[in-house]
Amino acid sequence: MRFAGDRLPLLAGAGALAAYAIFFASSYDQRLLTVAGIYVIMVLGYQFIFGHAGALSLAQGAFFGVGAYVTGILGSQYDAGFLATFPLSVAVAATLALVVAAPVLRLASHYFALATLALSQLLLLIAVNWEPVTGGANGLPGVPPITIGDWRIARGLPLLAFVWGLAGAAMLIARWQLGPLRMAMFTVMRDTPLAVPAFGIDAGLLRLRAFLLSAAFGGAAGALFVHTNRVVSPETLGFGIMVTCLTMTVIGGRFRITGAVIGALLLTHLPEWFRGLDEYYLVAVGALLIAMVVFAPDGLASFITARTPAKPACLHAIPAKPDAPADRSSAPLAIDGVSISYGGIQALEGVGLKIGPGEIVGLIGPNGAGKTTLANIITGLDRPDAGFLRAGELNLGTATPTAITRHGVARTFQTPQLPDALTVRAAVATAAANIVANPDAHSYTDTVMTACHLAENADTPCGTLPHGVRRRVEIARALAGRPFFLVLDEPAAGLAPTEQNEVAAILRAQTAAGLAILVIDHNLDFLRPLARRLACLNGGHLIADGPTNEVLADTKVQSAYFGLVIQ
Amino acid sequence: MLIAQLTLNAIALGAAYALVAIGFVLVLNATTAVNFAHGESVVAGGFAAVALSGVISNIWPGAVPGIVLLPGVLALTAILGLAIAALAYLPIRNRPPVTVFVTTIAFGIIVTNGLNAGFGAGPRTVPALLGTGTIELLGITASRQSLAIITTTTVLIGVLTFLLQRTQLGRQFRACAQDPEIARALGIRLTRITLLGFALGTAFAGAAGLLLTHQFFVTPSDGASLILKAYIAVVIGGWGSLRGAALGALLIAIFEVAVASVSSQPLAEGLLYIAVLAVLFIRPEGIFGEPQRLRA
Repeated sequence: MRFAGDRLPLLAGAGALAAYAIFFASSYDQRLLTVAGIYVIMVLGYQFIFGHAGALSLAQGAFFGVGAYVTGILGSQYDAGFLATFPLSVAVAATLALVVAAPVLRLASHYFALATLALSQLLLLIAVNWEPVTGGANGLPGVPPITIGDWRIARGLPLLAFVWGLAGAAMLIARWQLGPLRMAMFTVMRDTPLAVPAFGIDAGLLRLRAFLLSAAFGGAAGALFVHTNRVVSPETLGFGIMVTCLTMTVIGGRFRITGAVIGALLLTHLPEWFRGLDEYYLVAVGALLIAMVVFAPDGLASFITARTPAKPACLHAIPAKPDAPADRSSAPLAIDGVSISYGGIQALEGVGLKIGPGEIVGLIGPNGAGKTTLANIITGLDRPDAGFLRAGELNLGTATPTAITRHGVARTFQTPQLPDALTVRAAVATAAANIVANPDAHSYTDTVMTACHLAENADTPCGTLPHGVRRRVEIARALAGRPFFLVLDEPAAGLAPTEQNEVAAILRAQTAAGLAILVIDHNLDFLRPLARRLACLNGGHLIADGPTNEVLADTKVQSAYFGLVIQ
Repeated sequence: MLIAQLTLNAIALGAAYALVAIGFVLVLNATTAVNFAHGESVVAGGFAAVALSGVISNIWPGAVPGIVLLPGVLALTAILGLAIAALAYLPIRNRPPVTVFVTTIAFGIIVTNGLNAGFGAGPRTVPALLGTGTIELLGITASRQSLAIITTTTVLIGVLTFLLQRTQLGRQFRACAQDPEIARALGIRLTRITLLGFALGTAFAGAAGLLLTHQFFVTPSDGASLILKAYIAVVIGGWGSLRGAALGALLIAIFEVAVASVSSQPLAEGLLYIAVLAVLFIRPEGIFGEPQRLRA
């Protein structure tokens, strides 16, 4: 029932479109629909990188053009058939993406846009100036129609059906690639980039996947485009195609398959409906694009069906990671001689600290003492200039933040880093699925949520939670990976006394199983009953480390905390 | 001798590029937003000059020196900048940065196609700033246009420096660039600074359009390669640094003129794009930029 209710308008739309194409469309209309089908494939690809990965790639037109030129050159100059040229177009575009991924993919937002734009302009220059191969500014005529063996696909309805068949295949691939877990991972990457390693997500790999898929889809679309036009020209590499693709994606919607279809159909037909605008048509498109971004940022697809967040039930089907279980070493944390400076400021100097299994150590110190810096170094977000750092068998000085999390070192952040759109269960399950090495990630998710008193909030989106609950979700996210060592950055900040006690009880319960904890906090009412041992940082130096009462009685600590009331 | 002339040409080209890059950084500093319509603003400046010279020669037959057009071009493109701010930035200032890229790309589409419809797709030119030909200077034959470009740029940068360093508004502008939150807490009106940044930045782009158009012509679709050059200059010079942007622009121009003098313009441009990809690969924070650290 639910299936029919959800899908009925879409099925009806698809049926009406098919009926129009077969019974009513003129040969010119059929050509427009064919081009729309080609753009559906291109936009579906662009949604991976621009929508899901949230990176403004300006290379989608370049991948389209590369696919176009591979098919155009091989088809017109070497009489190669579709079964050879089409896979090659896809493969060359994807290979190009793979080659440029190393310099380009790790770049932050605007640098990524610049680098992909530079790549596009470079390819356009080559196409225009490498005349013997590309035919220069005029391009190459005589691209054959699609032929598979003896089967020659004629223009009109056969080509239209063939292209939309491939568009359907592209939709299935997109659906398969965007299961609930991967959607949740993309959401984390877009909304809380700082917390990506804390979720155990390998952001580089995720972006690479999105970039390669976008390139492969773009190459496929370019190949089909030249079969339809029968010529290949530098226009296929021009910024115009890129802009068309961007416009379709924004107007249709960045995240949904229906968005790609709506955007492609609409933008291929708008010029026909607005012929009266003449040369000013593209001016109107620009204005429409701005209006959409301002007033309907999720595109037209969001009006057809409300966006349903990933259903937590689906996350239960997450396959387990076959990795080894976390390191249960006798030395959860051992650091020595750790130093780091920023610019001219020595943030930490010669800091050493050892924490044993099941031990809770409180880390105190005035603002700017280096507490968060130490947490960042332990979790791989900062690299020390010198020093020895180990968590169990892992060298923290060289491992990536994601590898550190997966090894069993978890952390929470001073400001909770949770994606607004994910439910509590989805957030915890995403971390569990990416970090944990056991086949019962989903039941473990329930266990962790119960342990953190989150059962009744399980299906609430993180964005609507009150602050106190968000703190506990952060802790649940960290525990979901079954860590042996946990770093908490001010877990009690902003909490009422009862909430502080709740957090303390949750943490104490976890140490029974051997979890070691380093708690950074200012709040001694919270720390004193929780941690039997305290360490104090001041000006980047560890000035005290010992039983809580002794450290608090230490005169150096008291003077560092001058002004702080200690009863 | 040839070297001296090439150097002068490179400096003139670099000066024009520097205006583009400085304009880009002015918007960046006022808003932290990347204005993808900036290349189209240069193009718009070129066409504003084309249109103004048409109007003036109707009233006042005879050759109009290009420098006369400068105030008009500055005023028109400053208004364009205010329009970019009002339509493509202010409504979405609190959204993720990618959003501003998209709206400013859209604004660029509007400008390109508006100019295309109004002026046609073909290349257009404007009169030289202070006459054509060459003059003998310190034993070298210098093109009058190159000298005029360098002089105009120097004056504009001087005025900007005075504005930023010596006026209250300039101080407020620099405060916003350093820390918008603190600036707001001090009572500086951010919207005013945003509008100032867009107006000044776009006017600088427009001036560059006037300077470049006489020698290189202008077509409505030139925006993409110009924004790319501004961008590259800013990356080389360190994100957000005005001085760095000007220096980066000069380096790009020297590179282009040097490579083009021994081979061809397309090769120069292609090598530039390869170079920028290489720079981003080796030093993502730019050649002169400070690496930035994340804060959790």
